[in-house]
Amino acid sequence: MKNDNSISANALPWLFLAVAALLVHSFADSLGWLHKFPADWVIPLADWINKAMDTFVELVKPVTRAIAAILEWPMILLRDVLQWTPWPVTVAGVVLLAWHASGIRLAIVCLLALLYIALSGYWNPSMSTMALVGIAVPLSLLLGLAIGIAADRTEMGKRIVPPILDIMQTMPTFAYLVPILVLFGFGPVVGLIASAIYACPPMVRNVHLGLKQVPYEIVEAAKMSGVSSYQRLFWVELPAAMAQIKVGINQTIMATLSMVIIASVIGGFGDIGWEVLSTIRKARFGESLLAGFVIVLIAIVMDRISSAYVTQDDITKAKNLANKKLWFTAAVLLIVICAVIKALGIDFGVDDSSLTKAASEWLDQKLEAIVVGYGQLLTDIKNTFFFYYLLPLRIGFNKAILPLTWGFEFTEAMRWGYAIAMLIICLALAKFKSWQTGLSVAALAYLLYYGLTGAPWMVLTSAVILLAWQAGGRSVAIFTACSLGFILITGMWERAMLSIYLCGAAVILSFLLGSAIGVWAASSDRVSAVVRPIADTFQTIPLFVFLIPVLMFFQVGEFTALLAIIAYAFVPAIRYTESGLRQVSPQLIEVAVEQGCTPSQIFWQVKVPLAIPTIMVGLNQTIMYGFAMLVIAALVGTTGLGQQIFLALSAADTGLGLIAGLSMALLAMITDRIMQAWAAKKFEGMQAD
Amino acid sequence: MIRRVITMAALSLSLGLTVTFAADMGAKDEPIKLSINEWTGQHISAHIAGETLKKAGYNVEYVTAGYDAQFTAMADGEIHGAMEVWSSNAPDLWVKMADAGKVEDIGETGFDAREGFVYPLHVKEMCPGLPAWEALKECAANFATAETLPEGRLIDYPADWGTPGADRMKGLALPFKAVPAGSEGALISELKSSIAKKSPLLMVFWQPHWALAEYDVEWVDMPKAEDACFEDASWGSNPNEVNDCDFAASRVFKVIWSGLGEKWPAALEILKAVKISTGDQQVMMAAIDQNGGKVEDIVAEWMANNEGTWSEWVAAAN
Repeated sequence: MKNDNSISANALPWLFLAVAALLVHSFADSLGWLHKFPADWVIPLADWINKAMDTFVELVKPVTRAIAAILEWPMILLRDVLQWTPWPVTVAGVVLLAWHASGIRLAIVCLLALLYIALSGYWNPSMSTMALVGIAVPLSLLLGLAIGIAADRTEMGKRIVPPILDIMQTMPTFAYLVPILVLFGFGPVVGLIASAIYACPPMVRNVHLGLKQVPYEIVEAAKMSGVSSYQRLFWVELPAAMAQIKVGINQTIMATLSMVIIASVIGGFGDIGWEVLSTIRKARFGESLLAGFVIVLIAIVMDRISSAYVTQDDITKAKNLANKKLWFTAAVLLIVICAVIKALGIDFGVDDSSLTKAASEWLDQKLEAIVVGYGQLLTDIKNTFFFYYLLPLRIGFNKAILPLTWGFEFTEAMRWGYAIAMLIICLALAKFKSWQTGLSVAALAYLLYYGLTGAPWMVLTSAVILLAWQAGGRSVAIFTACSLGFILITGMWERAMLSIYLCGAAVILSFLLGSAIGVWAASSDRVSAVVRPIADTFQTIPLFVFLIPVLMFFQVGEFTALLAIIAYAFVPAIRYTESGLRQVSPQLIEVAVEQGCTPSQIFWQVKVPLAIPTIMVGLNQTIMYGFAMLVIAALVGTTGLGQQIFLALSAADTGLGLIAGLSMALLAMITDRIMQAWAAKKFEGMQAD
Repeated sequence: MIRRVITMAALSLSLGLTVTFAADMGAKDEPIKLSINEWTGQHISAHIAGETLKKAGYNVEYVTAGYDAQFTAMADGEIHGAMEVWSSNAPDLWVKMADAGKVEDIGETGFDAREGFVYPLHVKEMCPGLPAWEALKECAANFATAETLPEGRLIDYPADWGTPGADRMKGLALPFKAVPAGSEGALISELKSSIAKKSPLLMVFWQPHWALAEYDVEWVDMPKAEDACFEDASWGSNPNEVNDCDFAASRVFKVIWSGLGEKWPAALEILKAVKISTGDQQVMMAAIDQNGGKVEDIVAEWMANNEGTWSEWVAAAN
């Protein structure tokens, strides 16, 4: 707290807002337009986009189709080579590569992973996926490098690149599938391009960051020795930024693999994503899980080998160099073996799936046993969450409390009681704690009473803009106002509120659950060793796979969607909480112990405050992941923006898809901007203390 | 052994026929690409058509393609035929491309397609009047869940397939709330879990579908659909609403790239002639989805046993 003056200056607008809200509610009849956004104010932007698109497409189609043809050729070639090669040869090749990259341990991991893929009967589709990823990754890397350099070098790049990256990462791919389908034609190339769009931002960011961090002295020295700016970039700055760029490479690989399944919605390549989708359509949980696991393994193999090369130490490098002849012989030998196998016409057979079948049947039986055995319990859990958590958030106590749901009528007296009790609590908190705490409680009480879909648009937008202003100043506030304005005038407001409600409900639970697990994992190495691979799996396995068991347990509806989002979004909370707590320096803890702090004091008063910045990044990521999963949650029957995106996809409505997708991206970006600004302020405050 | 000889003979005979086709074979060395969509029944239809084309001497390639996305490919001549397009769920892209003259409807695939409300057999105990639709009026409460209270719960098609369930409930004035399923997988999950838990379930579904071969499911009897039911509110039991009747009969048809006839004239005649029966489809679907057979093997078996049928299709190009 700085001084009383600034407090009242900041609190005053909120008081105004509270009065305004009161007015809006008391004159709901005459001020209806402040309550529900008038339909005639909505502009038919989707139609305009569609019209513009039609002209645009005819204009650029020859160019985009040519690009598609150029990209398709190497991909088909790579796929054919991979599928032609007998699988034991491919396995041996990858194992050798892993050995060369890191050593015997990684080689064994890769051997087991590839054996699983071969024995699961998904070898050929996996090789198609490998081909797609094999072309998509270098493409994203090159694009990322080029854009990253442009962002660093040019004034314009500096300004326009970061927001574009945000949109590329937060806009759901399904939203722009239709336009790229029309532009680039049907087939795996569309998947390739969608992957490149999604996967190149991490590379751009890291290249940009790496170049920015190159020490000034190095650049100066280069300038003085008279190199051209081209030489300076490639000989001096890029090598100096390599460490950061390597991080980008790994993240790009992971992002590409997470797109595999979405690319297969278009089809045309017979890849593993297609297999997963087909099993999901049949609601075969076992098969989909086993097929989905193949993607996880491909991701692990590619990630571990590439990061081993990236972080290879000098000893391994020297060893490899010394054994150059040996490696060369091994490679040649492998090619000879491959040729011999082919010449003899030995077929190892790759589509024997008897093992997978047995395993998936077992999984399906287990799943069904749970559904039968705990049916009533599952229904009770669902109803409890639905009545006491989801409904109030969506439509508020105002409408959620009914004899049918809560078992009693929400009478006039109770409503007044609720209002007065909340007012007292919030005033008390404002007086004894801080006005912000009081305000938060008041806002929460208001939201819970009216629900996100029941609160007037005017009040909600004003509150968010005000919050943005106070957290991040004018630019954040203007961005927030424009974004919300876009959502309103394109008629997406109600859908957006449904999305926010579901995403918010999931984020709260994900964050609580994830950070609790993170705290536990930080306290013990053994727990951490168990948690980490599980978290890896949850992040790379196609999200669709979660949907079936959850559907079987809880049926179609919002609770199922909630759980599906949580299953994906709780992972970053675990990761960041754990790493934040582990980063607290041991000396500090020792000091605290010496001073006689109890374990709980050490935790709450030393560790948590120091880990807060990292934990906040985790919260931010949880929110981003929650938004990312919203589209997929629409597959279990939600009604927000995600559903609009699927409607647009099936109707080939480019405009609607883009608007709904952009609305979602904007919501994610608003949350991100406000939270980052808030965290930065907190961080500054903490450093000042 | 003897059978194989006969098959071989028939095969060489049919290969022999290709020389004497009235319709020209066209570019028979270039592969005709048929789309493989996301459901098993369609895989069967595509393979039957494809294998027949092969018997006639064509080169056929099967290409996996999203049901919606395939029309972009077909308009560009990158995929040449789709064997199952459902009128009840025809994508807007189909309409768009057909209007532009880039793709063509070449007649029905042959089966007796049906859509309507289904329920697993055990649900009859919860609502004894079924399958008569009027029974649903009284038992709606038995279908209620937390989300739909006090109304019953109806699982409707995913929103992007339309809302036929909600329309019917309004038309028939039944106290049910339609919940969009979101995806086919979600519909199947609902069915599976309802059968496992013996819980109530009413949902919109279609045939032919492998699930109907695998699970005991019944259709709700509704007033027979007539055109008037969808246009004239006064028609039917509810004088104030349209849609107070069963689903209109669906049409499942074959679509080709408009240039197919020019490039492979004989293939066009063959594809036009292909007709697959509901019964055959569902038996094969069960063999694949229930017993884990491979599409290629099951269809090869069908081809071996139904030579009379497909050789007639091949003869159509004669």
